[in-house]
Amino acid sequence: MAGLANSFGRGAMTNHFNDYKNTDVFLVIGSNAAETHPMAMKWIQRAKELRGAKLIVADPRLTKTAAHADIFARHRPGTDIPFLLGIMNYAIQNNLYHKEYIANYTNASYLVNPNYGFQDGLFSGAGEKNGKFSYDKNTWQYQKDGETIKKDFTLEHPNCVFQLLKKHVSRYDIETVSKITGVPKDIYRNVCETFASTGAPEKSGNIIYAMGITQHTYGTQNVRAIAMLQLLLGNIGKAGGGVNAQRGESNVQGSTDLAMLSHLLPGYLGVPNATKHTCLQDYIEKETPPSGYWKNKPKFLISLLKAFYGEKATKENDFCFDWLPKVDGKNRSHMGIFQEMLDGNVKGLIAWGQNPAVGGPGAQFERKAMEQLDWLVVVDLFETETAAFWHGPGADPKNIKTECFLLPAAFSFEKEGSVTNSGRWIQYRYKAVDPPGEAKTDTWIADKLFKAIRKEYQNGGKFPEPILNMHWDYDKPGHDEPDIAKIALEINGYAVGENKPLDSFGKLADDGSTVCGMWIYTGYWAMDKDFKVAKCKRRSREDSGLGTFLKWSFSWPLNRRILYNRCATDPQGNPWDPKRALFKWNGTKWIANDVPDYNSKIAPEKSAQAPFIMLPNGNGRLFANGLADGPFPEHYEPMESPVSNIISKQQNTPCASVFKGDWAKIAELGDSRFPYVATTHRQLEHYQSGAVTRNTPSLVEVCPWMYVSLSENLAREKGIKPGDEVWVETIRGKIKCLASVSPVVKPLTVNGKKIEVIGLPWHWGYQGMSTGATANDITPAVGDGNTSIPEYKAFLCNIRKA
Amino acid sequence: MAAQKWSFKITPLRIILMLLAALAAVIAVYRLATGLSTVSNLNDNWPWGLWIGLDVLTGVALAGGGYSASLIIHILHVEKFKPLSRSAALTSLIGYLLVVAALFLEIGRWYNFWVPFVSWGYHSTLFEVFMCISLYTLVQIMEFSEILTERVLTFLHKPIVKIMPVLLILGTLLPFGHQASLGGLYLLQVGRLHPLWWTPLLPWLFLMSSFFVGPAMITIESSLSGRAFNHHIDKQILRSFIRISGYVMIAYLAIKIIDLIRLGVFGYIFEGSLESNMFLLEMIIGVIIPIIICFSPLSATKKGLITFGVFTTAGVVLNRMNVVFTGMYKALGSGYFPAWTEWAVSAGLIAGGILLYLFIVENFNILEYDKKYQTA
Amino acid sequence: MSKAVLVDLTKCIGCKSCQTSCKQWNDLPAIKPQFDNTLSYPAETDGYTYTTVLHRTTEKNGQETLRFAKRQCLHCLEPACASACFAKAIQKTPEGPVVYNPDLCVGCRYCMLACPFSIPKYDWESVFPQIVKCQFCFDREGTHDRIGHGMEPACVNACPTGCLKFGERDELLKEAWKRINKYSKYIKHVYGEKEAGGTSWLYIADVPFETFDFRTNVPNIPLSTYSHDYLKWSPAVFIGGGALLSALHFYTKRRNEIAKEKDKNHDINA
Repeated sequence: MAGLANSFGRGAMTNHFNDYKNTDVFLVIGSNAAETHPMAMKWIQRAKELRGAKLIVADPRLTKTAAHADIFARHRPGTDIPFLLGIMNYAIQNNLYHKEYIANYTNASYLVNPNYGFQDGLFSGAGEKNGKFSYDKNTWQYQKDGETIKKDFTLEHPNCVFQLLKKHVSRYDIETVSKITGVPKDIYRNVCETFASTGAPEKSGNIIYAMGITQHTYGTQNVRAIAMLQLLLGNIGKAGGGVNAQRGESNVQGSTDLAMLSHLLPGYLGVPNATKHTCLQDYIEKETPPSGYWKNKPKFLISLLKAFYGEKATKENDFCFDWLPKVDGKNRSHMGIFQEMLDGNVKGLIAWGQNPAVGGPGAQFERKAMEQLDWLVVVDLFETETAAFWHGPGADPKNIKTECFLLPAAFSFEKEGSVTNSGRWIQYRYKAVDPPGEAKTDTWIADKLFKAIRKEYQNGGKFPEPILNMHWDYDKPGHDEPDIAKIALEINGYAVGENKPLDSFGKLADDGSTVCGMWIYTGYWAMDKDFKVAKCKRRSREDSGLGTFLKWSFSWPLNRRILYNRCATDPQGNPWDPKRALFKWNGTKWIANDVPDYNSKIAPEKSAQAPFIMLPNGNGRLFANGLADGPFPEHYEPMESPVSNIISKQQNTPCASVFKGDWAKIAELGDSRFPYVATTHRQLEHYQSGAVTRNTPSLVEVCPWMYVSLSENLAREKGIKPGDEVWVETIRGKIKCLASVSPVVKPLTVNGKKIEVIGLPWHWGYQGMSTGATANDITPAVGDGNTSIPEYKAFLCNIRKA
Repeated sequence: MAAQKWSFKITPLRIILMLLAALAAVIAVYRLATGLSTVSNLNDNWPWGLWIGLDVLTGVALAGGGYSASLIIHILHVEKFKPLSRSAALTSLIGYLLVVAALFLEIGRWYNFWVPFVSWGYHSTLFEVFMCISLYTLVQIMEFSEILTERVLTFLHKPIVKIMPVLLILGTLLPFGHQASLGGLYLLQVGRLHPLWWTPLLPWLFLMSSFFVGPAMITIESSLSGRAFNHHIDKQILRSFIRISGYVMIAYLAIKIIDLIRLGVFGYIFEGSLESNMFLLEMIIGVIIPIIICFSPLSATKKGLITFGVFTTAGVVLNRMNVVFTGMYKALGSGYFPAWTEWAVSAGLIAGGILLYLFIVENFNILEYDKKYQTA
Repeated sequence: MSKAVLVDLTKCIGCKSCQTSCKQWNDLPAIKPQFDNTLSYPAETDGYTYTTVLHRTTEKNGQETLRFAKRQCLHCLEPACASACFAKAIQKTPEGPVVYNPDLCVGCRYCMLACPFSIPKYDWESVFPQIVKCQFCFDREGTHDRIGHGMEPACVNACPTGCLKFGERDELLKEAWKRINKYSKYIKHVYGEKEAGGTSWLYIADVPFETFDFRTNVPNIPLSTYSHDYLKWSPAVFIGGGALLSALHFYTKRRNEIAKEKDKNHDINA
């Protein structure tokens, strides 16, 4: 998310699933699409069949996706950055990158402060702030001529981004990458050659990733490396190209859009900070960039405030900006909340469709933390481990005072509404069956909960205004359920006084005349003239060209299927590959197969200057100075690693989010008690924490047992036979499960040392029809410096026969 | 005669047999009420186990004494063997009743047992087996009612005697069908049943072995009943009787060898595997040694006769077991060993059979038939 | 015309959609199978499962890889199971499916033994168990029909990758060979084209079929040929044998009587 937003301007998958059929070379890294996104494999296979596309899979495990790879590179968990930077280096050294593309569409030509530097694994500006490592980013800034950034379109200037990148990645030659990652040199060279071949203008390379990339202490930089590689090879904005972050839940894109993350308001507007943004003016001045599409931010925020507070939001009262909750600079991410809970600072928790007792890092400690709560509300389909934390392993119900409530929720087929898929398609779905028993839809629960809370506040309470004055008008006369159409209309946006959905966020205003719950979705609820339904309800199977299917549902923003698609043609408007032309400038106007993600009313040469419209400077970022841990990605070892970092003295990322207590204990380098690398993973039979799938008989049947994958070699050494019970131990605890011995994992040769890797699915817990050990009981609570995503994918363990 | 009392001696051995039979009966009822999985270790890899292998396949073969004797005595009218006829028929009948009982326990949907009489799967070898065994058991009951009606329901005796020739011919003919067809059942196991046993000739080999085991069984039975009831059959009669077996065995051996060579699998015999060793054992004790005994002076002795009987019978049991288990082991895996309840039912059925035999012999004119015949 | 399915194992991603949709369509109960090291659950079709996806590790181009194979009844053109059933409880339909009718089934399990592919299974736990095997979603009178309603089977419908393709057998066979000849990755064998005289389910793959323990020593003729070659003698044996036995019976009887009379005469003469 953060990595993408800082490279391209939006934190979302750039292309969509159907578009995979246009790809020439796939690089799937940190994703097991065959298991987690089976439908993606349909399009990957189609590309293989139609175009002879090549599939490269990089993964520590021989996954079901890897089974279909033309090249399978088995790399050590946590070594994605060297793997990706090495491909960049290969492309630059062999002149395979897309020069015209990066010169025009990226910041390759930008000149950077001459004092920028990199030494011993640290970027210039390293220092401490409030006792914590922090970079002073002054030297990361561009050289400017007044307000204009200095550029060198020949890309020769030693301070230009391209030269800095070239220098930075030059350390990642094939030999070094092979030593760090454990991928044999010949395989890695093959990967480099094959993927770098998509640097040719007429070729499209597609990188697909998922949690294997993000769940690291440098997850954001992993994503950055992917984004940079794709920019370097000119693969962004093209049919068959892109950075395709496959989201894990059917509506996780939708919930992220709608502010699931603690630092965001709906539509990726930052949550105001209590000290930094004392009033609306403060926020607007400090957070609105002078250029790029985000300069419209005030319109989006004020329309949102109108949606929150309705008529109460007026120009005079800052549109009730003061009523918005503010952040205080402390970590309010998942781990931050649980740290506070462990410390006894959190009194109540609503776990709504979330099961941290299985899914959180160091889950056993998170269950312990819940014992500190006064009350816990769980909204879910089944009594999850979280709902039943008080009788989990090691818990003593007698000593737990937490009052627990379980609200039965309806399943997705038991309710109506839209679901946003990974490819940003907002697809409206109807109810198939009624929810069983007392189960209710999320909207019903939210509606009733809010009304009950508001009633309480009517008798007083701290700061009651935002609650009492919240615009809350979703009743449907004669129905118990709230009116979903009213909610949809509010999200879409409308002009005050008119009940008609707006068809574009271009029509939003900052004067309080428009209401919009989330600007990026504007238009999804607007009526399609031909089909006479809201656009997200469209289901036309007619291919509008290259598999864009523009009349199937609605894709945010403004039904654009491929983001940054100005890059699909050269600056003059000629498609890079005439056979896969998303757009073509015919001299007077654009011939389009997609909705332009740029101003199509101006000349192509003009729009080519800022193809990444969400970024202030309009160019994709090979060099990104907005992140906490460096403008370029750099390889650091996972917090727990069996080897020292051979590329620099800096063993771990200095910016990791660290926590305190048992759940954050980290095994030191060379701890002989934990010699093996463990990684957690998902599998197709189960979904997330298994709350639903482990309660569905036909899914329990297809994978009923928690297991650990270990290599035949390790099994031999440890005397473990297939099906044996084994203990898997980390410094934080141990779990018992069954052994699956197969070539799914194999020892890797890392810098001459043999490293064993084991794989743990994390879907199990102690509730439901299929129970088993929770892998996350032993994962570390340590996170990425930008996003605080936990490092689930690489940690140290031991394994022994139980 | 009608005044004669029913008698049944109680001896310790008989008490044990009765206990075994009673246990089997209890298990059988339990099985019929609760299904197969509660009493057997049968599974998807081994759908056929001990009951089919021992009670049906082997049982039918061993009860073959009835039809070989019938052929020799009633069809070919080799009169000197007539003293053997009634006891052979009785053993055979009891054997078949046990087979039918075992089959009834074996089939999963026993209330449907009659369906094949109506819905004819005539393309199935099993259909032939089923029809022949059913008819044959019926025929045997009718044949045997000649003896029964000497004492009960006597008014039926005359009509039965009248139709006896037809029954005898049917009773000889039908076993040809099912004895062969039992082997035919395994024709479908081509590629799975080990090549030492699988051959297109399997039905005919089954037929021949069921034929030659008849006299062997009668020999054993004669000596046993001789001991129990002090009833002795002339050794000379038995000797010439087993000679018939001997000739069939020689033919069997020759056909088997030629067939193995013809199918190009002769080499398997000496490969030293479980299968080859079991095959050798089967052939040596079941065919070769009996042939030697049969055509040597040994067969003039009581010991020789009994050895012949025991070896031949063991050989046929081994053959059937090899077809059902040893030969299928590689294809089906090692997932089956009969449960104690399966053993108990098999043992109980045999015990019940022996008890029935003893009861009938004690109460009907079976063993003394030769005397009666001689006096008549 | 006979319906068939072409299974292209190079397209299978092991997603098990076919397996779960089969369970749901056919209202089959789910059970909790034993642990399986390959993570194929259930490791075999069983008394509750018409189809399962086998997972195997194998080697390809010097690297380990995974392959998957959906296993279910192959619906032979001349099924050994149907030929083995003595109550006509299993029958080959003209439409292609080999279907089982529990009302006629005695439960002898000869079909299980007869099937060269070890497909028919038994629901052992029942008091009156049934034979369990894929019915090709053909259930003309019942509630589980799809084929009869012109639909493809539930498994094919659920397959996301086009690994399963439903159609006419001769056309699918042509397509199978077309694919094999077009792409060098395939091994040159359509499993089911000839096995046991041909099956309605056809498989093509890029790894040997032995990888999935598919039997490759199945004769290329219908297995029932062997039993029919034997059974065809039955009428002759019964009629001829009956005649022969009757003749022998009366001949030897008469011979003995004559011999006896001779003896008597001999006695008298003596």
